[in-house]
Amino acid sequence: MAAPWLWLLPLYTGIAAAAVPPPPDAEVTFVLPAGRRECFYQSAPANASLEAEYQVIGGAGLDVDFSLESPSGRLLVSESRRSDGVHTVEPTEPGDYRLCFDNSFSTISEKLVFFELIFDSAQEEEEEEEEEEEGDAWVEAAEPEDTLDIKIEDIKESIETMRGRLERSIQMQALLRAFEARDRNLQESNLGRVTFWSAFNVGLLLLVAFLQVYTLKSLFEDRRPLRT
Amino acid sequence: LALYFHSGEREEKCIIEDVPSDTLVIGNYKVQRWDTHKQEFLESAPGLGMFVTVTAPSAEILLSKLYGPQGTFSFTSYLPGEYIICLQSNSTRFVAFAGSKLRIHLDIRVGEHFFDESAVQAKDKVNEVYLRLEHIIEKIHHVSKEQNYEREREEKFRKTSEETNSNILWWAIVQTLILISVGIWQIKSLRDFFISKKLV
Repeated sequence: MAAPWLWLLPLYTGIAAAAVPPPPDAEVTFVLPAGRRECFYQSAPANASLEAEYQVIGGAGLDVDFSLESPSGRLLVSESRRSDGVHTVEPTEPGDYRLCFDNSFSTISEKLVFFELIFDSAQEEEEEEEEEEEGDAWVEAAEPEDTLDIKIEDIKESIETMRGRLERSIQMQALLRAFEARDRNLQESNLGRVTFWSAFNVGLLLLVAFLQVYTLKSLFEDRRPLRT
Repeated sequence: LALYFHSGEREEKCIIEDVPSDTLVIGNYKVQRWDTHKQEFLESAPGLGMFVTVTAPSAEILLSKLYGPQGTFSFTSYLPGEYIICLQSNSTRFVAFAGSKLRIHLDIRVGEHFFDESAVQAKDKVNEVYLRLEHIIEKIHHVSKEQNYEREREEKFRKTSEETNSNILWWAIVQTLILISVGIWQIKSLRDFFISKKLV
């Protein structure tokens, strides 16, 4: 009775092989000089889902222009002077997507930009359900030495799920890190500003006080020659 | 290598990575040069190399090496903080060569080794599961390290915020005191002046 389930085996491996592993998720932090435009290209497989998330974490104004173009040259997203954004493209066309960050509107302040590209294979959820059903059927009909193979496949599935979830955790961490970096940079510049302008204020105050007294005194200065 | 960007021949492009201490950072890159005759990027430009420079948060240069048109570099962070990874080609061509640019493919992995799917599947089943598990464990360690680092940074952030807060208050008090004392000095000084001038 080993024959009936043997033909299921190639079907299982067939499904696993058909899914192209999604490209590794990219996370980049870079300095965008004033008046410059930087573009990044990311190749995507067909029928996947691409999520692009960006944040301006440093630089006066904390804003940048963002644009996302599909491989066929179609402008999917165009945002102007935003400090953060999330965009999902699903399903993706096969080819290179182009993300551009534009700081041309600013002539003196450079921006520190963080962005993250996350890929999700859209078929993943369907696959997991099918595999679980087949796994149960096999366990009932299988012979002892084949049980090991099945158990190993189950373990590999669990590991794959865990890996996916860990990837998600790492992505969330990267995002939270970007938020925190932005707030921290802002606060550090606040501290610098407060100290500088307060000292400047005190200096100006003293200067004006002395100038007032001196001017008033000089108005009453006797310039006429003494008459005797 | 999925993510790429363009750069000028002699331009230096930098990427900032904020990593916790004792973390392995691996970078994988490939560079192609634009061929104006064929109007496309050459697969592997001969003689073209890339200077890879890694600067630690302490401004110390951790890594500064010349690699070929394709290469892998890695470093382990001993200090937590921002590491700046810079790539610059060793091309000696002048910028006057119009239309020449480079396409740089870059993939940077933090806290984990590259997981080569094909190499793993060649071995036997149990070994395969073992390798996958090891990779997962490495990932978990990385998540935990990142978490600790985040805690450190948040503490630094909180200290900065509190310092700003107390700075504002302290400066306001100092300014008010100086204002009052200068005001008193002004009035006193003018009064003495007018009395001496016999105007009052």
